[in-house]
Amino acid sequence: MNEVSRRGFLGAVSALMMLPAVSAAPHTESGKRYAMLIDVDKCFGCMACVVACAAENNVPLGSFRTWIEQLVKPDGTRIFVPKQCNHCEDPPCVPPCPTGATYKTADGLVLVNDELCIGCGACVKSCPYGARYSNPVKGVADKCTFCDHRLAAGLLPACVEACPTGARVFGPLHEDNELSKIVRSRPVQVLKPHTGAEPQIYYISLPDEVNR
Amino acid sequence: MLEYYFPNEAAEPLLWHPVLFAYTLLVSGADLLILAALAYLSGSLRKVIPLMTMLGIGFFAVVLVGPLADLKSPHKAPLIFTHPHLAPTAANPGISLTAFQATAWLIALILSIIFALLTFSYYSHQASLTSVGLRKSLYQAFSLGVTSAEKYGAVEKVAKAVAVLMLPFLTLWGVYPATLFIMQTWNPAWRSWALLPVTYFADTFVVATALFMLVYFLWRYGSLERDVVTPVLKIHAAGSLSVAALTGLQMAMWWTWSPATAEMVEPLIPLMYVVIGLLLLSFFLSLVAIRYPATIPAVSLVAMAGTFTNKWNIIVNAQLISKTGLAFFEPELGGGWLLETAAPIALGVAVFVLLSILFPLEVRESGK
Repeated sequence: MNEVSRRGFLGAVSALMMLPAVSAAPHTESGKRYAMLIDVDKCFGCMACVVACAAENNVPLGSFRTWIEQLVKPDGTRIFVPKQCNHCEDPPCVPPCPTGATYKTADGLVLVNDELCIGCGACVKSCPYGARYSNPVKGVADKCTFCDHRLAAGLLPACVEACPTGARVFGPLHEDNELSKIVRSRPVQVLKPHTGAEPQIYYISLPDEVNR
Repeated sequence: MLEYYFPNEAAEPLLWHPVLFAYTLLVSGADLLILAALAYLSGSLRKVIPLMTMLGIGFFAVVLVGPLADLKSPHKAPLIFTHPHLAPTAANPGISLTAFQATAWLIALILSIIFALLTFSYYSHQASLTSVGLRKSLYQAFSLGVTSAEKYGAVEKVAKAVAVLMLPFLTLWGVYPATLFIMQTWNPAWRSWALLPVTYFADTFVVATALFMLVYFLWRYGSLERDVVTPVLKIHAAGSLSVAALTGLQMAMWWTWSPATAEMVEPLIPLMYVVIGLLLLSFFLSLVAIRYPATIPAVSLVAMAGTFTNKWNIIVNAQLISKTGLAFFEPELGGGWLLETAAPIALGVAVFVLLSILFPLEVRESGK
């Protein structure tokens, strides 16, 4: 009887512990390692990717899941550098999250579970790239998801599809595709390599001046 | 040269509002409890233990209310306790300092309350003898069955063990915000502020002792006891001098590191000079107050002005430096920020007042 009571008590405690539990994010994992390549030489700053992303993902005014920086060299040459979440291999934004709302999927995407996010901003502060922001509408941290809802439907991220020059190339690494071929055959750079975050957005012709 | 620059931080440069500043002041409750525990363990400064314990618990108990206003979904705050990120997994590598500290807060607060109940157990028994109604029931419960000086002797040993257990958790809290800034953010000023944790630790001692002296002065006005005031003033003087020296040393480090670092932290330098000036003044005033205790309020107020300035510079101004280190944003403070900041401190004061009604603020040796 005593044993049963103890078990009953533990069961009740477990049930109480489960009360605040929330469901996991809807992301389905493919077992691939997604990455993106951005050819800076091909970007002419049309902002089609910025607009497509904002429209696709309901990005609030003033915040950006992707944006374009413009570098003006002393000779007047303009260089456009698109930026976004780097879906790092060792993402600095994941450890600080107090509730584990920010997480990394097996296919390399760094996502936010809105149900668990309390909006403390720790991840926003810990991203070296400024790729995260506090979504004032949802009250949670927000960022690029590589359009995971589109990936699940077999589509490309909105920014990739919208780019008129094909400056953005997306796909799984280590497979026989355009992205892997370029990453293997051409010199590529990443943003802020000194952070040790191992970003998964690769660049071609990235100017050194951008890397601050 | 960069143009068309659309970083997210431009939309909301001040993500953590000045309420965090109140939060870090409440952390001084942890330092008051450290001082109380050390006094109890060493057997010195016993007279200050009750006041320090009550003031410490009052502030430390409400410490987590501080950052609540900074949460974008405050109704989900309990998830920090029910869904803490304390163990690394494949999906959630690393450990969240915030979750770790929230757990440490719970443990430290429970230990602090046990420590207070143990040290006040015999007093509570005696108080129960002369009380009536609800107060009598409360004191009977607080006495923990300690009804004689002999029993209190045994309880003291347990209280000492609890005091030892409290120390590591409270020390972690003493350096927590600084540790978070330096380890789990990518703010260029915070990450290059190598002396931030030790400065923060010393700084919270300055606030804790300044607060203690002010409350003690107001409470015992006209009958200040030198054997209470002098040691606290000495701790305060040492803390003030340490923070001033560490602030100056950090400035020197930045200047010698690289021209880029020196340029990046330029907006922080003017207030750092103010901090050094105010804390040096507090140091000298402390020495004066040892001889003339009537000047204690001046010591406390100058020290608090210095630490307020320091925290404003560390929390607000440093946040306004962009992640590239190339820009310094303008602060955009909401209308209610002052009230929002004052509220958690007012709550801490309220808890302290409530505790001071129930428990004595002066020592009763062996329960007398």
